[in-house]
Amino acid sequence: MLENAWLIPLFPLLSFILLIFFGKQWREKCSYVGIGFTGISFVLSVIVLFTQMANGSGGAEAAWLTIGSIEFRFGVIVNPLNALMLVIVSLVSFLVHIYSKGYMHDDTRMATFYSYLGLFTFAMLALVISPNLLQLYIFWELVGVGSFLLIGFYFYKEEAKAAAKRAFIMTRIGDIGLLIGMILLFWQVGSLEFNEIFTAVRDGSVAEGLLTLIAILIFIGAVGKSGQFPLHTWLPDAMEGPTPVSALIHAATMVAAGVYLVATLFPVFEASPAAMTVVAVTGGFTAIFAATIGLVQKDIKRVLAYSTVSQLGYMMMALGAAGYVAGVFHLMTHAFFKALLFLAAGSVIHAVHTQNIEKMGGLWKKMHITGPVFLIGALAISGVPLFSGFFSKDEILLATWYDGRYGLFILGLIAAFFTAIYMFRLFFMVFAGESRTTGTKVHESPRSMTYPMITLAILAIFSGYINTPWFGTFLGDWLVGDSEFLPFEHHEGPIWVMLAASLVAFAGIGLAYLIYYKKALQRDFLTSHMPNTYTLVFNKYFIDEFYQYTIEYGVRAVSYLGSFIEKYIVEVIVAAVTGVVKSVGSLGSRLQSGQVQTYGAVAFVGLAILVFLVVWTGGYL
Amino acid sequence: MDWLTILVFSPLIGILILSIQQAEQKVTISLTGILATVLPLLLSLVVYAQFHGGGDLAISHQWISFGNGIFQIDYELGVDGFSLLLLLLTTIVSTLSASVAAAQIKQGLKAYFLWFLILEIGMLGVFTAENLILFFIFFEITLVPMFFLIGRWGFVEREKAAYSFLIYNGLGSAVLLILFAAIFAKTGTTNIEELKTIMGSGNAVSEEFRFGSLLALLIAFGVKLPIVPLHTWMVRVHVHAPIAVVMIHAGILLKIGAYGLINFGIGIFGDQFVKVAPFIAVLGLINLLYGAFLAFVQNELKSVFAYSSVSHMGIVLLGVAAMNEAGIQGAIFQTLSHGLIAALLFLLVGVIYERTHTTKLRSLGGLAKGMPLAAGFLLAAGLASLGLPGMSGFVSEFMAFLGLFESMPWLAAIGTIGIIMTAVYILRAVLGVTYGKTVKSFAGMYDLTRREMIPAAALLALIVLIGVYPNFITHTLQYALESIMLGIGG
Amino acid sequence: MSAIPVNAYLLLALVLFCIGLFGALTKKNTVIVLISIELMLNAVNINLVAFSKYGINPGITGQIFSLFTITVAAAEAAVGLAILIALYRNRSTVQIDEMNTMKH
Repeated sequence: MLENAWLIPLFPLLSFILLIFFGKQWREKCSYVGIGFTGISFVLSVIVLFTQMANGSGGAEAAWLTIGSIEFRFGVIVNPLNALMLVIVSLVSFLVHIYSKGYMHDDTRMATFYSYLGLFTFAMLALVISPNLLQLYIFWELVGVGSFLLIGFYFYKEEAKAAAKRAFIMTRIGDIGLLIGMILLFWQVGSLEFNEIFTAVRDGSVAEGLLTLIAILIFIGAVGKSGQFPLHTWLPDAMEGPTPVSALIHAATMVAAGVYLVATLFPVFEASPAAMTVVAVTGGFTAIFAATIGLVQKDIKRVLAYSTVSQLGYMMMALGAAGYVAGVFHLMTHAFFKALLFLAAGSVIHAVHTQNIEKMGGLWKKMHITGPVFLIGALAISGVPLFSGFFSKDEILLATWYDGRYGLFILGLIAAFFTAIYMFRLFFMVFAGESRTTGTKVHESPRSMTYPMITLAILAIFSGYINTPWFGTFLGDWLVGDSEFLPFEHHEGPIWVMLAASLVAFAGIGLAYLIYYKKALQRDFLTSHMPNTYTLVFNKYFIDEFYQYTIEYGVRAVSYLGSFIEKYIVEVIVAAVTGVVKSVGSLGSRLQSGQVQTYGAVAFVGLAILVFLVVWTGGYL
Repeated sequence: MDWLTILVFSPLIGILILSIQQAEQKVTISLTGILATVLPLLLSLVVYAQFHGGGDLAISHQWISFGNGIFQIDYELGVDGFSLLLLLLTTIVSTLSASVAAAQIKQGLKAYFLWFLILEIGMLGVFTAENLILFFIFFEITLVPMFFLIGRWGFVEREKAAYSFLIYNGLGSAVLLILFAAIFAKTGTTNIEELKTIMGSGNAVSEEFRFGSLLALLIAFGVKLPIVPLHTWMVRVHVHAPIAVVMIHAGILLKIGAYGLINFGIGIFGDQFVKVAPFIAVLGLINLLYGAFLAFVQNELKSVFAYSSVSHMGIVLLGVAAMNEAGIQGAIFQTLSHGLIAALLFLLVGVIYERTHTTKLRSLGGLAKGMPLAAGFLLAAGLASLGLPGMSGFVSEFMAFLGLFESMPWLAAIGTIGIIMTAVYILRAVLGVTYGKTVKSFAGMYDLTRREMIPAAALLALIVLIGVYPNFITHTLQYALESIMLGIGG
Repeated sequence: MSAIPVNAYLLLALVLFCIGLFGALTKKNTVIVLISIELMLNAVNINLVAFSKYGINPGITGQIFSLFTITVAAAEAAVGLAILIALYRNRSTVQIDEMNTMKH
């Protein structure tokens, strides 16, 4: 079965192709095509997962590009990490396909939407089963295109256009890092197959300094894709896309690809302590940085987007602190609860037709399913004990503690505290209190939307139990079990870390409760006492503006310099050359008097001179 | 069977049939014109099959001889993998261009097709000629029809464009002619294979002569490619020539520069080329970045794609300068891939122009609403152009940079800025035209017709085919590449 | 028969040719110019015939060639005069210096 795992991405591709060609005719039935094919992929993924568990890893490869003696290959490889990712991606994609049937039901371009979803799912599934870096890079870019197309789905909106463009370019900057890192690695190792890379790294055949450079370059790719600081600005803007897309691409799967990349190449990173520090510090900083921005945003999707950035930073921090299992574990739990939160947010937006949380409120009584599932998601992400997020966060904090990165450990705790605050700020403002919506009649979403949310809610509660200090670390054992390159480590943590994490979560929730529900504390405390800080945070630390004034204007300046050179130097030189040719020509044409006899005379004199010369030189002209 | 001669001169049949038709019968003429380009297409497929069937395609006949037989020029045709692929590219793009022309050229259709078919003979000959004189003759044959095609059927400044085309390329061929004559006089042969051995052995001619020759080649083909700062004519032609001609121009004629540089530059003067490689790499880098940055600030769709061509040809130079298998194969791939992509891009520009009668970025926007298919194709072509994996552009860029990183890592690292910039300017232009608010609504907007759809789909299919399974081509290229590598001692 | 030396023939031809050339280059009337051209052609004919008799390899070729020349010259004169008449009808002049429409 494992060598046939390439079938899994093929079904969404088929869906893409069919819908591109026949979508117009099929209209509403498009959703069934999409759902059906992704469903098949999901079933196959589950089969592959169990086969892997039973029989161990496997794969297949064939030649793709031959350059003389160099051969690049494509194929599939199924190891525990890949199998896990396959299931996560196909499951979330399957659920989002179902959800979209309700969410997009009155959109005339449903076929296009489903075909793009198919393209994205295809690329993402193919990405996670890549056996070499080149194939990974190929699908890495293709998921970017899927994301780009879906962000720009409402193409007639200027904001959507700008957001799509920005997402593509920002991630491409990161991708170039990955490309350079990949090529450098190739010339060091002579192959891009993961196994050969790991062997070479383990044998120390790549110089330490160069390895650090390569690892950091590859990490830049991950930074771009996973919205880490400083390339994070595209991710909140990407919320211009339809909400199911935000759930699938910009929460659960594609943005996690950066984390997946670092996890896949973990042996390379691990061999370079400097690179590990870069990963951990970037992750930790992003985690707290994005969390603070999330505290003050007013758009429900943007809050969730910054939350995603922050959580991805968390995962990076875990990986940088050698917490391989912790990072992957959090990736999985996060995929479920963040997809859930986005889908719930979509359900809310679907009902109230606004994204501004200031205009929502009192929805708890009106949305009997969306409300509870949102609460479950919020509890899970805040790390409240017994929910999935609690276990994975705990694992991350433990990893940083054991790696001796105490600064990051504290940063992680603070970020967790902020996470609890902004999530419950969101919850209380949207679901509690008075209704602030005007006009529209609020109703619960259709079943095609609620069922996926319920499924995800169940996963958000229980998916944590596959790796707990209490019931065994099944996931950790399995993930690193049969690999010769991954270190096996599990930390039996001191109980106080767990306590501290819970305490922080409850403190955050409590604070949010006091401010936004009980109104016991002034909401505008921050605004009135620290206006400058508030402005700074509310404007996302002015990073967008900074980029605009430096990079964008810089590029523009260089371009105008170029066109200046073109216009006033190159063109002038050209004009000079043609001018000379022209003036010589017009000079020559003066001789053209039209008097045939003059021509004849000149020709005769010329002939005479020639004959004279021949005779003079004795025939050797 | 002398397949190559039949292939090269097969457009003559179309010319003969066309010349006895009456100019008023537009339908018959456009049908004949298209069919006349289908014939070479089929023949080139035959040649392709022969090549892979192991058939010997090379032919040689005595042709001109003077100076008591010391100087002899033969009629020699032949193909290697590289030129075979370019032949296929030529016949495919010609057929598609002819079908576009049949729809878009409003007057003088007969004369148009006559010139067009002569142009095709020239292009086919250039890629099959096995000696320098023959190459030069075919090279010149391409100039004259192009001049008239641009000058008569182009847009506003067509005559200026035609003249600057003729002046630049005329100067380029003058340099080429002098060089070929000098080589002929020094070595007594113009056969390319023989020259490879003579120039490779190192005793026949002086080192200075070989460097000088290489420099002359660089100038002659640098005009064609074009290398900055010799590119202004090409931008003008892209903007003012009729769309169908630009498809040919960007798709094939520019490739003659790359073909000449690789086949003659590296093939004959391999050792010298190795020494000037860093210089060529710098030129390539300038092309790549200069083209990209200028494309970013153009206000006109056609100029954006024109500078994009400059930029993409920079990658050819970079790949060639890498002087290893990966780089040269990348350059060859880029040649083919850009041929297809540029043809597709300009085809779509033509479609847009036909509906809106403008290509100004400022007055275009939100076209995806009125013509979703065309917008989809344009987006796909743009993505291919910016090197999206799964399309041919990625494979070539990847190989070129793979090669360059081995020999000149710093230069390659700077070059990657070009890849980012490509994304920036392509998206700016393509999204600006198709996405966003509708700036102006144009009366009578309609989507791609079937007649436009078929060429566009065919080109896109080829682009994707090469991108998805590049080994499809490497197989053909193998021997050509080996012989090139032999020339530079690699 | 006293032998007239070949030099005499050549001298005659030379003189004839020079007169013709002078006429062709200086005369304003196009008819005169055409006649001068005939003179030059005939000078050549004399040369041809002279060489066919007294040349290094005497033979019939020269005479045949001169016959050719005479024929071609006749045709040329006919065409030339026809053109001249056409021109005269259009411009009512046969002055050669007024026929300068081919100037730059």
